[in-house]
Amino acid sequence: MLLFEYKEQKLLNLLKFTGSPFKRFVSTGEIEENIDLISSRQDFLKTIVKIIEENENFILPVIADVGVGKTHLYWALKHEMFFYNIVYISLENVYRKFFYNTYSEFIENMGVEVFRSIANKLCNEWGALERTFGFFHVADIEKVRKVAFERWTSKYEDSTAIHDVIYAITTHQLDPYKKVDAERWLLGELMGIRELSRLNLMHDLREKKNSFMMLKVLIENSNKRSVLFIDDFEKIISIIKPLDEETEEVFDPSWLYGDKTPSEKSSAEKTLDKILQLHKIKGLRIVITLKSQEFYEEIKKKIEERNKGLSFLLKEPIHLSNFTEEDVFQFYKENLESFFRHINYIEYFDNFQNSYFPLNESNLKYIFKHSDGNPREVIKLLTKVFNKIILS
Amino acid sequence: MRTSTSFVLFDPFKDIKAQGEFTGSIISKYQDKIIFSDNLKISDSTGITISQGLLVGFEENIDKMIAFSKKSDFCWENLKDTSLEYSVLIPEEAMEEYEKGQFSNDFPFTLNLLHTAGLLLNNYKLKIDHLDFFKGEILKNPVSLIRDGIIVADRVVIDHNGDPVFYDCLIVGRDKTEELNISYEPIINVDDKALEFIIILGIEELKT
Repeated sequence: MLLFEYKEQKLLNLLKFTGSPFKRFVSTGEIEENIDLISSRQDFLKTIVKIIEENENFILPVIADVGVGKTHLYWALKHEMFFYNIVYISLENVYRKFFYNTYSEFIENMGVEVFRSIANKLCNEWGALERTFGFFHVADIEKVRKVAFERWTSKYEDSTAIHDVIYAITTHQLDPYKKVDAERWLLGELMGIRELSRLNLMHDLREKKNSFMMLKVLIENSNKRSVLFIDDFEKIISIIKPLDEETEEVFDPSWLYGDKTPSEKSSAEKTLDKILQLHKIKGLRIVITLKSQEFYEEIKKKIEERNKGLSFLLKEPIHLSNFTEEDVFQFYKENLESFFRHINYIEYFDNFQNSYFPLNESNLKYIFKHSDGNPREVIKLLTKVFNKIILS
Repeated sequence: MRTSTSFVLFDPFKDIKAQGEFTGSIISKYQDKIIFSDNLKISDSTGITISQGLLVGFEENIDKMIAFSKKSDFCWENLKDTSLEYSVLIPEEAMEEYEKGQFSNDFPFTLNLLHTAGLLLNNYKLKIDHLDFFKGEILKNPVSLIRDGIIVADRVVIDHNGDPVFYDCLIVGRDKTEELNISYEPIINVDDKALEFIIILGIEELKT
């Protein structure tokens, strides 16, 4: 056996032992993607970064077909803009209790320490750390609350929410005996009436006005700027949009419940209203992903119907396109390199630096042709090929 | 221990009289008492004035000594004959450390006295010693006068020997060359014999 053939066989044996380098073909917001965007998409990424850095409140639609890499874009954005809070939500998951779920995602992303320092900063601004006689902190909790109410009454609309949030923050910082319970409330834990009344609060964060206010407080007082990345945004439109007249209705809810709006549709509309309400949070940038231009037009129409004054929020969409042939080659190579680096097989870099082994150029061209450059299809085909290699 | 002598505002022993109006965290020693204030004004024409300072010490009441803390304005018109021993402005870095220690919340179960009370007084005639009674307890806002200086701490604990252990302390005192020094210590153990007094400031009396 020639030396090169021996090295190839060794690599194949290794793959049989480790399994395929191509496994996952669906990106999610929960599992981190460590592979960067391929170089042809770097300009696309820079465009988004520029929009985020130069604007404050906006909704930026990113249009791409299924499997083109919209969710992967979130991870690339998160790595590129590590000095921002970039929070991912999928409308599939936060469809109901939108503010509460979005707030929980922010807390999870930012960490409890950041949240504690914000609470401390706010109490400091309200005079909790005032030094009496130049030395002594005499935290008069009622005096601090009074200052907080004076400052926030003009800033926020809902008086019950103001009451609950101020009481929770001041209790957390200035009442060591109730601190733990106040922290549980602030972290969004569900609480019973007895626990709430001990803290002198009306509702927990399931109440949308409370969770919206906490979200606003958290984002506006964070040292980092925030971006909310909403995936699968078209889900809202597909629920709100009435079915075509030609479509045969197997079951019409109105047969049973009368002509009332179906609850799914009504809650989707409410969610859209809530997303539009996020423009009241100063500095919150929103990136949404959509599957097609039609969905963009629908959203634009819906926003105008609801409030024409808010249509300025929606920016012109940017399109994420499929891989080019060159991208497929680069993607394949980068994945293999990352895989072998991860398992610490450095011989790969010595022996196969300029080779596509175990595939070759014509294999990759075939994959590109049969996938039309759709990244998810490319990964599916690569997975299939590698599974065959491993099992042969 | 970090020290600084550039924050001495008034020290007749070393002939230091920094002219002007000062704000911040100021400690002054006045006879066997301590004044805490956020302001102090020194000028040759009007003397030394402190507006709304807190005077802390012991006063004799018939046959016993009673600890007190009183809010008051102070004025010494004549700089040469003033009974004010010294005034120092605590550096902001030391105050920041002091505040960090206070708000750590690691010691939430401290005893906060409502009104100022004496914990220890080493007076040759009228002694006070409640150290044994408070053994193991954490008392908030102690102020202590020692032989060569002052300790202001966030809390004090009486250890198993009956000696006070101060936590999160600012210390002002004279060194061997009689220079005034200011320092921050997270913890300091003091032999009770070295102490002139310990007063626990009452939380109600600190409220303005």
